[in-house]
Amino acid sequence: MKGTIKKAVALGAAIAMMGGLAACGTSSSSGTTELKFQTWNLKNDKFTSYFEDLIAQFEKDNPGVKIKWVDQPADNYEDKLSTDAAAGELPDVVDMGPEPAYTLAKAGVLLNLADAAPEAEKDFLPAAWSAATFKGTDLEEGTYGFPWYLNSGPTFYNKAVLSECGITVDPNNPPTKQDDIFAMADTFGKKCGGKYALTSGIPSIQDFGMYGVQLMNDDRTEFTFNNEKGVEFVQHYIDMYKAGAFTDDMLNSSTSGESKSFNGGSQAFMNGNAYSVDDIRKNAPKVFENLAITDFIANTKPNMFMEMLTVNATSKHQDLAIKFARFVTNSDNQLAFDKKANVFPSSTGTIDDDFFNPSDDTMDAEAMRMSADQIRNGEIWGPPQFTSACSTMLREEIAQALQGKITAKEALDATVKYCNERI
Amino acid sequence: MATKAVMENKYNHYTPGKVVRIIVLLALLLFLAAPLLWQISLAFKGPKDDMYAAPYLIPVDPTVDNFVQVFKRLPILFYVGNTLIVAALNIGGNIISGCFAGYSLALLRFKGKGLVIGLLFLSMLVPGETILISQFLIIRNLDLQNNLIGVALPGLVSSMNILLFMNAFNAIPREMIEAAEVDGANIWQRFWRICVPQVKGTMALVGIFSFMGSWNDFLWPLIVLTDDSHYTLTLGMSRLQGTFVSDPRVVAAGTIVALIPIMIFFLVFQRYIFNGLEAGSVKE
Repeated sequence: MKGTIKKAVALGAAIAMMGGLAACGTSSSSGTTELKFQTWNLKNDKFTSYFEDLIAQFEKDNPGVKIKWVDQPADNYEDKLSTDAAAGELPDVVDMGPEPAYTLAKAGVLLNLADAAPEAEKDFLPAAWSAATFKGTDLEEGTYGFPWYLNSGPTFYNKAVLSECGITVDPNNPPTKQDDIFAMADTFGKKCGGKYALTSGIPSIQDFGMYGVQLMNDDRTEFTFNNEKGVEFVQHYIDMYKAGAFTDDMLNSSTSGESKSFNGGSQAFMNGNAYSVDDIRKNAPKVFENLAITDFIANTKPNMFMEMLTVNATSKHQDLAIKFARFVTNSDNQLAFDKKANVFPSSTGTIDDDFFNPSDDTMDAEAMRMSADQIRNGEIWGPPQFTSACSTMLREEIAQALQGKITAKEALDATVKYCNERI
Repeated sequence: MATKAVMENKYNHYTPGKVVRIIVLLALLLFLAAPLLWQISLAFKGPKDDMYAAPYLIPVDPTVDNFVQVFKRLPILFYVGNTLIVAALNIGGNIISGCFAGYSLALLRFKGKGLVIGLLFLSMLVPGETILISQFLIIRNLDLQNNLIGVALPGLVSSMNILLFMNAFNAIPREMIEAAEVDGANIWQRFWRICVPQVKGTMALVGIFSFMGSWNDFLWPLIVLTDDSHYTLTLGMSRLQGTFVSDPRVVAAGTIVALIPIMIFFLVFQRYIFNGLEAGSVKE
């Protein structure tokens, strides 16, 4: 084995020399400082021009600075980040969500911006800034990223499916709480059991939060969602499953499976995004004919997702990296990006722009107004400590609870234990 | 006459067992081919087709625009070229290393041979993900990150392929090799002229598997390549998937485009695959 590795290395080195293919380094040439900026799946015909203009503007304002923009594909992004971090190859400014950022912050590779740029806090929505502020075991309490774009959206429902399944929804008084959905399960299951699903099958950690379950202790050192409220929440899903309000294949489906099932016309409710209206209009015209929207269904505050820009703690040009990250996340540049992507700003006051409050009465405009409202009042429920491995565990345990193999309490105890061991 | 009777019997006489077998095979075919057929039909569907309606194959609003979009948005041929470079290195590396190592392990006598074979088996048990970071550190220290050679390097030698070759060399009748030895052939001549021609089937098999492996690999190229100046096809294709909204028709068209070369490769080489699979186990 050792022999083969040596052989491979020697062979490769020989080939490299023969080919004369030297790796291109990122070292800066005389007089210019180069910063490496990494986005996540945003280099395509829709966004490339936005970033090129943005970078050109920054380079113009800061002579002698060169921004090298790289973009990574959607899949396996966390693997890419952790190998780069381990190898010391992490770019200076990196786009990521709170979960990978928490892991990297613990590993000490992200800059604590509460220390390095404390004046930034006032420029962001409190909910966004606090979601970027981490606290936990073996971690210096601090803010490890500038909030960038936020995403949220209304809840969509299919009127035809609901009326076929014996449920009448008053368009002037549509359901707004998770409890309202739970109350529909019996009727829905009796009429449409096995044929249609009432809502997405397995709740995520965000759904727990929206129901009002306390997810973590105050010190953020332990998960607590196996409390009474959490058990009560899962029990609702067990009852819905028993009533026949889900199809069996929903036990395996992920969130993208959820939108397929809704777009395929076999699901009654779906939590969507502002841009989902147009997506459904284009790709699922039959569902669009019966489409209606309501405020994001939640017992407490609606959920938001957040992306942020982190700064590499080992960057040679930290001040410049902070400057660039703040430039990308400033109000004007966020607004320009949000207009292109139909997502929402995390910077203070930007949400009051007319773009987010259109006055026409199309469904797109209505969805936009509802989403903007949720950005003002919403909460980023997913704790950054809740890794994707934890999400998978939670999903699998609840699936077993739905099938009656274990109780709700057992499912949550097992997940909490698993996640606490890895916190 | 007798053979003809047997032939007729073979083709004209359908026993119930045979009918059942054919039905099962047809069902399997439908099962395996249906997703692919659906993907192909989706790639030709236009804006007026409802993608989520009950599956139907013939597009209502047929178009090639999805394919035009794929080529417009991505330098697909550039990506294909990069993948072909990696695939060629991989095929060559695996056949050469497998041949030499397999021959030594099967037919030469040296100290520690059992240990080497044991280590090769052991290395197959190590999941690739666990050594990802150390592998990347080696590549980086060689200054091969963001370089196609860095993508190909760790795959140039694989214990699975060495063991396949070892099996194939073991299957060559010893009498043949001994006869050559008596005739005065030295070890290189025995290797090149007697043994290597006997393992062509395994070469084809290893070549095809290496090709498929490098064609489909996603995670390792993602780790090694830092930007899109050297992207391979799998990485490049992922650009078709939008962060917020993506058009499944264009994604399907991209998948079909990526599939064409591998299908051609298979059609050309398929007869060697089954030869190769048997080569290790059956003595000729």
